[in-house]
Amino acid sequence: MTEPILRIRDVRLAFGGVRALDGATFDVPVGEIVGIIGPNGAGKTTLFDCISGFRRPDTGSITLSVPGRRPVELTAHAAYERTALGVGRTFQNARLFKSMPIREVLRTVQHDGMARSGFLRSVFGIGGSRQDEADVAARADEVLELVGLAAHGDKPAQELSTGMLRLCELAAVVAVRPKLLLLDEPSSGIAQRETEALGPLLQRLRDYLDATVLLIEHDMPLIMSVSTSMVAMAAGAVITTGTPSEVRDHPAVLTSYLGAKA
Amino acid sequence: MTELLSTLPGGLVSGAVYALLAMGLVLIYKATRVPNFAYGAMATFIAFFHYQLVSGKEFGFSLDVLFVHLDIHKYVQLPFWGAVPVSLVFAALLGLLIERFIIRPFAKAPTVTLILVTLALGLGLNALAQQWFGANDLIVSNEHAIFPRTPAFSIGGVNTSWERLGVIALIIVLAAAIYAFFRFTATGLAIRASATDRDVASLLGVSTRQLSVVSWVAGSMVAGVAGIALASLLVSSNPSILFLLSIKGFAAAIVGGLVSFPIAVLAGFAIGIIEELVRHYIVHADTKLFTGAPEVVTLGGVIVMLALRPKWIFRGIRDDEDSGVTAGAGAPTFVLARLIDPVEAYRLFRAAVPTGVTTARLGRLVRTIVLVGLAITAVTFPLLPLPRFWTLPVNLTLIYLLVMLSFVVVVGWLGQISLAQGAFVAVGGAGAAITANTFGLPFPFPILGGVLLSIPISVLVGLPALRLRGLHLAVATLAFGLAAERAIVPRFDASTYVRPPQWLQGDSAKYYVFLVLTALAFVFAWRISRTRVGRSFYAIRDSETVAAAYGIRPVRVKLTGFVVSGAIAALAGTMITYQLGGVSSNYASVTFSIFWLGNAVVAGLLTTAGPIIGALLFGLLPELTKGSVSASSISFVPQIIGAVLLIVIVAVNPSGLASMSRFVRSRVTAHAGDRSIEAEPPTPVDAEPVETRPELVGVGGD
Repeated sequence: MTEPILRIRDVRLAFGGVRALDGATFDVPVGEIVGIIGPNGAGKTTLFDCISGFRRPDTGSITLSVPGRRPVELTAHAAYERTALGVGRTFQNARLFKSMPIREVLRTVQHDGMARSGFLRSVFGIGGSRQDEADVAARADEVLELVGLAAHGDKPAQELSTGMLRLCELAAVVAVRPKLLLLDEPSSGIAQRETEALGPLLQRLRDYLDATVLLIEHDMPLIMSVSTSMVAMAAGAVITTGTPSEVRDHPAVLTSYLGAKA
Repeated sequence: MTELLSTLPGGLVSGAVYALLAMGLVLIYKATRVPNFAYGAMATFIAFFHYQLVSGKEFGFSLDVLFVHLDIHKYVQLPFWGAVPVSLVFAALLGLLIERFIIRPFAKAPTVTLILVTLALGLGLNALAQQWFGANDLIVSNEHAIFPRTPAFSIGGVNTSWERLGVIALIIVLAAAIYAFFRFTATGLAIRASATDRDVASLLGVSTRQLSVVSWVAGSMVAGVAGIALASLLVSSNPSILFLLSIKGFAAAIVGGLVSFPIAVLAGFAIGIIEELVRHYIVHADTKLFTGAPEVVTLGGVIVMLALRPKWIFRGIRDDEDSGVTAGAGAPTFVLARLIDPVEAYRLFRAAVPTGVTTARLGRLVRTIVLVGLAITAVTFPLLPLPRFWTLPVNLTLIYLLVMLSFVVVVGWLGQISLAQGAFVAVGGAGAAITANTFGLPFPFPILGGVLLSIPISVLVGLPALRLRGLHLAVATLAFGLAAERAIVPRFDASTYVRPPQWLQGDSAKYYVFLVLTALAFVFAWRISRTRVGRSFYAIRDSETVAAAYGIRPVRVKLTGFVVSGAIAALAGTMITYQLGGVSSNYASVTFSIFWLGNAVVAGLLTTAGPIIGALLFGLLPELTKGSVSASSISFVPQIIGAVLLIVIVAVNPSGLASMSRFVRSRVTAHAGDRSIEAEPPTPVDAEPVETRPELVGVGGD
């Protein structure tokens, strides 16, 4: 058994009197697509916020162990540092840089903290920064191709339909080559037909990145078909984990969804 | 003790005026959520009107269009208190007109748009006041003072006058009236309800439009009283002095979060009294060294307080997720730069005319030709047979270009609304003067010194900016700009005299040096816009959260942007120092900053082409016309037109001027019939509600 890529231990976060996360604990094995389900308010997005650094948990630890790298305690790092550590995420409401054409968006996200070419080198076009710009442009085109948006590269992000915006967001997160990909409801707000195409696309992206995926999703057919294992959450805690069908049929899951004993 | 007490009346009376201004601002903000940066200008305008009535004025109106010849002139003079009702009616009308024609179209606009619009309104009103009432200072003679200036009495050697006592009493009465209005009238209650939750209030039947009218009319009348009292106290004043005082009223109001009357009033008094104390104990100790110290202390205090983000200031204020610059304010695409740009013109033409000719390179070619033409003209300029007076306007034009470029970097690209770029001009001038006169270094070093000095100061200004956005950032930078103007400009004005080397004393030598410096800054900015540095700016502008999610460090990027834009403005400051011998408040004041921010927005805030066009249109053209007419007949018409233009351009599409080119294009394609340029019809983008994130940790932490 290899080390899990993400180890979440007893994460707690309260907003005033509301316990958004109440001791969430589970492991994410390397290379899997782990689906997270749960009713509204179960703490799924809050958990993503904690993993990606937009919220700091009150207590608990979140440990990232990318194979071949030293394990890191994520809660000790700011949001912008976690990209370099290998965490990428999408947002529930598909947020991107609205004013830019999407090809520009995909170049922007490959920022790398300007590690490879700093301010002066970039501005004066010296010290390999020209090559760097060319690489960035090439990778932007590559991921555009990958999600099938190559024909729309010059459109500003704010002119895209929600479905295309989702695709663009996926392309953006893929462009930074994360090892752990957090996808927050990629199907929300898009048409049924597009949802059906999403499953194969997610698998394609996972293979392209060779990454582990953590997926929040309300569309049961989609999450059942792509997940290799599932986690069910309710009231800020994990109620069960297992294979998709095990989790779906677990009595506690049914109770939490239906609000009564099934 | 007596000495301490003797400062009290002065401090109290100026504090009372700040408090009164703050009350008017809170009144309007509470009801409409409009931060009224034009408030000082409104007060000035009404005060000018009032004292014109009192001292007697020929109100004339003549029209000469085709066959219509109208010529109405009437001499009016009223006693002081007889003129007050007239002035208040005038104030009410002014408020009504402003609300109806300028504020209402922006009811749903983002805060940044409202800031720009009210700033433009303020500039326009100031220019209008000067055009209408003359550019001379307003002097309130003894017989026209609001209350007699005779000494009232003295307690323990502290003298006070009836005028001061009267103004303080007047303000107490007004404060009580406003309090009663909010406490006991239905409208007042409705405004309070609306301030707490606008949507709920309007669901419960409160008409927000009605509240807006009431608050603007009442606010305008309060402004009138404040203006009239202030002008009388100051004896001699002009629009820019009154505008600067109104900034302190704004500072007082923002300490109360722009919604709390008691805090705003207390803060107003505190600012007045602290200023007086500082003036008495510090400035008098060494006038030369500590000039501007009162402003530095009080406004610096306000900036620090804002940066500490106490809960009461930010309660009830919505922080926009993005900077709002592209989503509403910056008018980034429908701008002169875009209309004049051949590539854009070509695109519009292609969309409109169904032609099979593939002349895709034509636009690019024309653009290159225009640029090369400009460059050639610029290089050969001193060789052209032009009159001598051309040189100063042209050199100033280069300076304007740099100032606009610095606005492009910080507002257009980084999305941080800074109103303090003029202060960096002063910083650059100060740095140059110190390097040249104190350290005695020869020519190129003062330029370097000015730019280097701007870097730590940019970081200092950038630090509060890390925690502030939109309205608060605008006020913080405005406060910094005013403090810097007061502290720096008098010490480094033309009397410091930075002596250029022998070879640089000629006009054309200066011109070439300035041209090279401007070109360097320009290429530098252009390179930034084309590389990952620029892209990180745009990312922060569009959304700090998303930027952080992709590994962009908001702290570092913002500071980089502030430093770059500050350095560009400081470079302009060093150039001014060589041109005029020192900095001048004409080229470093807050008004200067706002004026050129407005011009940059109109010309195009997102591209490096904007400043070029803006400098030619708003810099060179007026400077030349100014140079050719005699100084006595200075016209403020360009400023008025500029302000109107700015408001109109921002108004054309208040919900998102970024979509202006789309707007034009969709019109054009509609006319072009079935020939659509896009393969897919544009679909409305996410109408889904954006999840609110009350608190984000770790985004800005460093």
